[in-house]
Amino acid sequence: MQPLNMWGIVMLKSEKRTLFRFLSIYLGSTFLLFLLATVIFYHYQKHHIIDTQNSKLKQEAERISQVLRKLHKNYTSPLVYPHQEPYHSAIYSIDKTLIFGSFKPQNIQWKEEYYNYNNNLFHIKRLKPYYLGATYLMVSRAVDGKPIEDLQKMLVLFLFIAGIFFTSLGIFLGKLFIAPMKEVMNHMNQFIEDTTHELNTPISTILTNIELIETLYGFEGKQEMRRIEIASKTLSRLYEDLTYLKLNHHYHRDSRPLNISGLIEERIEYFNTMIEAKQLLLKVTIEPNIVIVMDRNDALRMVDNLLSNAIKYNKKEGVLSVVVTQKLFKISDTGVGIKEQDLAQISGRFNRANKSEGGFGIGLDIVNQVVEQYAFYFKITSAYNHGTEVTIEW
Amino acid sequence: MVKIILGFFSYTLMLLSQPHSPSLKLQQNCFVCHQTQEIPSELIYRRYLMKYSTHRVIKTTLLEYLQNPKKKNSIMPKQFFIKFPFKEKSDLNMTELEQSIDDYLDYFDVTKKLVLPSF
Repeated sequence: MQPLNMWGIVMLKSEKRTLFRFLSIYLGSTFLLFLLATVIFYHYQKHHIIDTQNSKLKQEAERISQVLRKLHKNYTSPLVYPHQEPYHSAIYSIDKTLIFGSFKPQNIQWKEEYYNYNNNLFHIKRLKPYYLGATYLMVSRAVDGKPIEDLQKMLVLFLFIAGIFFTSLGIFLGKLFIAPMKEVMNHMNQFIEDTTHELNTPISTILTNIELIETLYGFEGKQEMRRIEIASKTLSRLYEDLTYLKLNHHYHRDSRPLNISGLIEERIEYFNTMIEAKQLLLKVTIEPNIVIVMDRNDALRMVDNLLSNAIKYNKKEGVLSVVVTQKLFKISDTGVGIKEQDLAQISGRFNRANKSEGGFGIGLDIVNQVVEQYAFYFKITSAYNHGTEVTIEW
Repeated sequence: MVKIILGFFSYTLMLLSQPHSPSLKLQQNCFVCHQTQEIPSELIYRRYLMKYSTHRVIKTTLLEYLQNPKKKNSIMPKQFFIKFPFKEKSDLNMTELEQSIDDYLDYFDVTKKLVLPSF
């Protein structure tokens, strides 16, 4: 889980993902809300524009009907029909036969007073009395698209400005949202820094002196000594892990060909005291001299954490199986296992699926960081109360 | 006398303004009397048109009136019958009557008079 720099704030990937989720939900819901409001407003305004144009059709129909009345009383010839652009009109007899008109509309919807067909507005006015025999007067004109286009442009501009405003607001809120998280992280890092600094010297002293006692004096209380050794080694690894996390993004890696088979065997030997203490049945299948290009410290942190977890969470007298091949490193235990719902979050920092054993929950986070650093394939399968199997493919 | 001259003059003008001449039968069967008695034929047509809208219905109602010319069968106002002499029953047969009505409707047909304005 690599720390990322965003807006000057160092964040973990998961934290960045959370922030993006927050921003996505916030901006997405705001956008949807505005889009919905805009669509409703657009339809309302469009309807209003069409209504306005319909009322002009009605005015034109009224004008024509007045002229028809005058023409009806005019006995001279010709009778000039009151056609006026941009309108078209036609008069129909009571049996809906065309009497005269400036156009011949098709598919007339006689039941509608106003209707829109092929982007043309139509208005049918019923006349009484039937001047010139006209019972129906139809007035039409093409929909004036300009007000609608202006409305569309205005709404797009509005959405654009609202988008900029709410994105800015979202970023501002996001920064507010991150601020306490950043503070907690700083406190946590400061705590780790102080703890690691204070742990180093006493742990080294204890381990050195245990070795000296065993070598020089052949101490009789071996059981007690082994417990002290295990506890000291646990503390030592914790120190190494915390140092690794703290220095990770400033750490200069020295990647070179590494005999991973030898390293894993060495680390199994290192953990032997703990394995024996828990009376585990160790099944080791390691192909010799497998070499991968990797920084030794990264490999140590990855292997140590996986071995440590497999021992720590194993049942007493359980089985610890280690397989190393040209393609993979697989370690499995017969321990407490991980619940299915916890599997997705298990590799996050400070996440622990089982709190029966001690620890800070940083082990799998470190393994995950190493795996991502070298683009290894990392897979955890687990059956609750039956065991866990971790596979890393090089 | 002046009224008669003016009426005749205006009727002549009206006839001259018609797009085409009436058929001979229409002239003989209808307009001879209408002209003599100064009965405004087009006014009657327009009156019927305003009430019935279609030539088909006008024809039916005119036919009914001409076969049985009573006030109740006419749509013309009372004043019309005060001003103009009441029509006697036509001695034309049905075919001639129908033909005359058709010619009459055709002669005054407004659709033939309507034109679009020239811009």
